[in-house]
Amino acid sequence: MAIDPMASCPSAKESEAWMLGHFLNHLFNGVVLGLLLTVIALGFSLVLGVMEVVNFAHGVLFAIGAYFAFALVKLVGFWWALLISPILVAILGMILESGLIKRIYSLNPLYGLLLTFSIAMGLEGLIKLIWGPMGYSIPAPPFAAGFIDLGFVVYSKYRFIQGVLALFLILALWLFLEKTTYGAVIKAGTISTEMVMALGKNLPRLRTLVFGMGSFLAGIAGVLTAPMWGIRPGIGTEAMMPALVVVVVGGMGSLYGSIIAGQLVGIVTGLTVMFYPRLSDLMMYLLMLVVFLARPRGLMGTKSILEE
Amino acid sequence: MNALGSRILRLGGHPIILTALLFAILPLVLPMMGGHISLATEVLIMSIFGLAFNLLLGYTGLTSFGHAAYLGMGAYGFALCELHLTKQVWFVPIFSGILLAGIIAFLVGYVISRKRGIYYSLLTLAIGQLFYFIAFRWNEVTGGETGLTGLVRPTFRVRGLFSFDLSNAVIFYYFVLLMLVVTIAILRRIVNSPFGAVLQTIKQNETRARYLGYNTFWYKCACFTISGLCSGLAGVLYAMFTYCAFADYLYWVNSGDVVMLTLIGGGLTSFFGPLAGAAIFIIAKNLFSSYTQHWQIFMGIIFVIFILAFPEGLFGIVKKHKLFRPEVTSG
Repeated sequence: MAIDPMASCPSAKESEAWMLGHFLNHLFNGVVLGLLLTVIALGFSLVLGVMEVVNFAHGVLFAIGAYFAFALVKLVGFWWALLISPILVAILGMILESGLIKRIYSLNPLYGLLLTFSIAMGLEGLIKLIWGPMGYSIPAPPFAAGFIDLGFVVYSKYRFIQGVLALFLILALWLFLEKTTYGAVIKAGTISTEMVMALGKNLPRLRTLVFGMGSFLAGIAGVLTAPMWGIRPGIGTEAMMPALVVVVVGGMGSLYGSIIAGQLVGIVTGLTVMFYPRLSDLMMYLLMLVVFLARPRGLMGTKSILEE
Repeated sequence: MNALGSRILRLGGHPIILTALLFAILPLVLPMMGGHISLATEVLIMSIFGLAFNLLLGYTGLTSFGHAAYLGMGAYGFALCELHLTKQVWFVPIFSGILLAGIIAFLVGYVISRKRGIYYSLLTLAIGQLFYFIAFRWNEVTGGETGLTGLVRPTFRVRGLFSFDLSNAVIFYYFVLLMLVVTIAILRRIVNSPFGAVLQTIKQNETRARYLGYNTFWYKCACFTISGLCSGLAGVLYAMFTYCAFADYLYWVNSGDVVMLTLIGGGLTSFFGPLAGAAIFIIAKNLFSSYTQHWQIFMGIIFVIFILAFPEGLFGIVKKHKLFRPEVTSG
């Protein structure tokens, strides 16, 4: 077979274009990762804001979302799993809140942290009991396989859908918090729970609902990322730590802060994967340190009760 | 009773001596209960770690959630020094481990000591993860996933007088016990000093402490450094105990464990709480994991019940029911 020597070594211009495509791909990976981290972080900071509880169970709820989806995907297909699984996780979250977590609101915040830590430990053990310690993978839905041509770059179709869905979720949450009365009550709850109660709102129900929302966000992020990251018992922790960094970088209690920080963390991570993969899971912590040294309350954080 | 007798009696009632005696007879009692001496050694090491941690949590009111990092630093400092510098001079690796942990703790303390509350916990957690990933990824220095292995326990020698070979499990146990007693003595001296009083003031009301003219930043930073040094000692002992240093030592779950054992013991209200906590925690963990591979479920359930039912911890229950009067160190 005759080989055209020019075919295998692209011209300078072609290689530049390939480089740019490569770069854009990693950049987009970063953007999508950032959106997903923002979704996880928003669930976490919603609970943190209203209940002042550092919810260490957030990660394990994320993992449970993925496992539920794994069980459901065979029965009802991916899209129904994407809907049902987070709802189940939300119900589980509300049961945990109204059964256990609500008992420690009056105590030092330390107890909330420890209680959710213990719950996470127990649930992770339960995951291992039911599904075993090994990992699984969920196939992406068939029509999301392959690539999509965005005009200037060819990008993975599934990641694109992930990004769009995450964006949609963030938007929906924003609309809910900013444009509805109940959202206003929740936001008021992050400022003063006593005042909310004094105004005649049912605070325990509000808290249960907020916890349910947080769990829903964790669960849906778990399902969305499952085809990409795989499923294993420890996945919750792996997903929660970056989200926590997003919360700290963005500033606690700030929705916009979480979005910006999510993009920052995502893009920094995405580009590190391209240029120096070994540092990819380290960079976000360095970023956090830099941001923290420059702005101790995070990018958009304001003084809050959480510092007391 | 003559003066000397009562003096000895009083000394015998001293909590440090009591603790030392209690743990000294443990290797004799433990085999009867089917335990192994390595379990007791682990309890002692975790006690040191818990005491170090409790200086922050119980006395200064700062919840560090990344304390495993300083334990890990101690282990790596010890391991690196042994592998690259010397295995012969026994005190060099030990002190370099403690020193490394102390230096890192000082730097971190300097960065975060303006913070408090939940922010403090989240920051220490994230910084702890930073060190974990450094240890995990920096293969050339830390061995990455495989860690640093092939360590030896040094032999204590005073020329012509005695030599103790620490690779003997019993001798190692008593060595760790000695270290525990030294740590207790130092930390008790610290918390009962004027410096310790300021720390407790910071726990109760930092703003007021500042208005009284104390530079709380440096107090918090110093407290963090001391805690880091003692955690480093625990790390050194742990590296000796396991003959290796892994990145896993720095993982955040271990940081959670130390918070948990301090709380179970009742560290928030008593100095010796972490000792009881470490004993319960380590023994329960070993017990459950020897019976079932699903020990996490049982540990989780027990902790949840414990936190909800006895938020003051074990020493808290004892104190509430006035079973005996342990020292009350902070309000």
